[in-house]
Amino acid sequence: MAVLTQKKPKTLFEKFNDATWRRKFVTNVLIPWIFILPLLLIHIYVVAIPAVQGIYMSLTDWTGVGMNVEYIGLENYRELLFEDDKFGKALGNNIIWMIFFLTVPFVLALFAATMLSQIKRGGMIYRSILFIPYVLASVVTITIWKNLLNPQRGIGAALDKMLGLEDVFGIAYLGRSETALMSIAFIDNWHFWGFLMILFLAAMQAIPPVLYDAAKIDGANRWQEFRHVTMPGIRPVVLFMFMMVAIWSFLAFDYIFLSTQGGPGGASEVIATLLYKNAFFRFEAGYGAAMGVVISIFAGFIIMIFVTLRRRGWDI
Amino acid sequence: MKGIKILFAIAVLVMALAPVGAQDVTTVTMWFSEGSTLDCWGPLMLEFNDVDPSIQLEIVPQANSWDVTRTAVAGGGGPDIVRTPGPSFVYEMAQAGLILPLDTFSESMGWGDFFFDWALDLGLVDGQLYSLADELETLVMYYNVEVFEEHGWTPPDTMEELNALAEEVEAAGLTVFSHGNASWRPTNEHFVGEYWNQIASPQNVYKALTGEIPWTHERLVEAIETLDAHMKAGWFGGGVDLYFTNDGVYRRTSLAEGSAAMNIEGSWAIRGTVDYFGQSGMTWDWVPVPSHDGTDYYTIGMGNTSSINASSPHPEAAAQFLTWYFSPATQGKMLTNCLKGPAPVAIGEDVLGALDPRIARIYAELSDASANDRYGYTTWTFWPPESLDHLTFEVERVWTGEITVMDYLERLQEIFAEELAAGDLPPIPTR
Repeated sequence: MAVLTQKKPKTLFEKFNDATWRRKFVTNVLIPWIFILPLLLIHIYVVAIPAVQGIYMSLTDWTGVGMNVEYIGLENYRELLFEDDKFGKALGNNIIWMIFFLTVPFVLALFAATMLSQIKRGGMIYRSILFIPYVLASVVTITIWKNLLNPQRGIGAALDKMLGLEDVFGIAYLGRSETALMSIAFIDNWHFWGFLMILFLAAMQAIPPVLYDAAKIDGANRWQEFRHVTMPGIRPVVLFMFMMVAIWSFLAFDYIFLSTQGGPGGASEVIATLLYKNAFFRFEAGYGAAMGVVISIFAGFIIMIFVTLRRRGWDI
Repeated sequence: MKGIKILFAIAVLVMALAPVGAQDVTTVTMWFSEGSTLDCWGPLMLEFNDVDPSIQLEIVPQANSWDVTRTAVAGGGGPDIVRTPGPSFVYEMAQAGLILPLDTFSESMGWGDFFFDWALDLGLVDGQLYSLADELETLVMYYNVEVFEEHGWTPPDTMEELNALAEEVEAAGLTVFSHGNASWRPTNEHFVGEYWNQIASPQNVYKALTGEIPWTHERLVEAIETLDAHMKAGWFGGGVDLYFTNDGVYRRTSLAEGSAAMNIEGSWAIRGTVDYFGQSGMTWDWVPVPSHDGTDYYTIGMGNTSSINASSPHPEAAAQFLTWYFSPATQGKMLTNCLKGPAPVAIGEDVLGALDPRIARIYAELSDASANDRYGYTTWTFWPPESLDHLTFEVERVWTGEITVMDYLERLQEIFAEELAAGDLPPIPTR
């Protein structure tokens, strides 16, 4: 008959006397921490401390110049959420922006990646061509497209001239309230979707070919292959990018600021451009900080959704 | 041995004197945005280094000097000379104790002898002098002389004449004003300010700025309604939507090549106007912006201000540089060589006489207007920051039909009243 005895756990002092434990502690715990420490310190200095300062400043009337601040509690948040109609409009534009970027580039990238994955020779040329816009600086992309969309000398005007039309295609896409936001989204997407395509293509190429062979043997057509083999294979990448794009949508700034600065009449205003104007044009840095905190809350909310889905067994 | 002793003595002497020599030279730093302006101004400003070898100016080019200056100064660093884009920025920095009061320097270095009386007042914060205004600006109406001669037009003096002329310009298939804000969105404020001054009169603008009448006063409303009507009629660049996409190149070329007849723009545009008309071979000239009753009003603006950093280790040397820089001789030289808008100082007749007469006339007329109560107010110089932001950007919502003129002005009145009560207004010279 076996006798069960409970082994008494070693005290820290006893562990330190154990040479094997000491060696493992140094190798597995101490050295990794030492290596990561510089990075951690930098991160604390440039991210954590400013983030905490930002939260504090959002509770003050800080002008952004000097350090004369007065604590005003949640006043900035009250004004932001209940009085500032510009913020509501900007938030609405951010949501439109997010919906656009969670659909159009994903559909384009999935389609292009699926097509390119079939190409055996010369595929690299197509990939490079489609990826090039992603490596262009935003200021370059905007300059190109501002000229292309110019109502007097752009492609629309040229098309009108060619077809004998007047002001049909050659309209001020960036100058009209109803088209400005979508025109900038179109430009940003032109730059962005190639990046998504490359990610999806890389994920597709990691799917074992034997799965496609098995699907073919089972009589699957192209659509069924895509639905039952490709999509499950690339789903973690797609969902991860869904999360990232949703977060990035609330950070949209450069393309909008460089093209219309939120105009005309606030038609393309998003939270980040509004934040910038409040902080640097109106000397309301505390109010701008409150907007920054709200953006972070949105980002945190999106991350929480994905974490919840992951806990429920989604392959993210 | 004797040789070694001599060498040792020389070495000791050199070592002893070297730090003395190094201490004698004080470096004054100034940050400046990179670009063609610095290319022309830089060498002229560096001539200061020949004046007094013990003080040397160092110009540090920056991609966007104001943004980096503000950040650095707020953090206790930055250049000795702090340049800001206008008096409202000075107010914030002075309140925060980031720049020095200049009264003592002004008195000891005689700045009052060459600055116009009202100009030094622009740098006052709570009764103390914190900045010196630079780049005197005004807005005028440029026009294409050949286009006017071809159609037999004469430049308008009044708004009524402008209305009549605009109809003829449009009938001729031309754009009335070569305008657009795609390159610089705050361009909007130029027209808001100009229409207020020219239609409602500078006297009424002064009353509104000092809180005597509200921004919803009928004359001020009329001015913005007129601007709105002109904008919606397509006078500015051919249409509201085109106004939002027309860039700086369009603005210059359409006037210089004759597809637009006129352009209401600042004196800062002279250089570009000269260049583009030089390329097109046509002729430019200017008249005052038409006013309600034909009086020649000139709005006064300041493109920049200069202050001394509170953390500067040698403010005295910085003040000496400012004395040299703002002297009529230096300002005259920069006006002649770079067409720089001069600081509001008394520039000699000889300097103006050497300029293109059209350019000289702008500054002579502006000087005359300021002496004879015909000066007005540019928004970026005299409005507090939140009101300025509102009047600049929200007017687009009026032009796109999203809000009415009264909505726009009522909200402005609310914001302005708060800023007035809080004492956030830049100094307004008494008239």
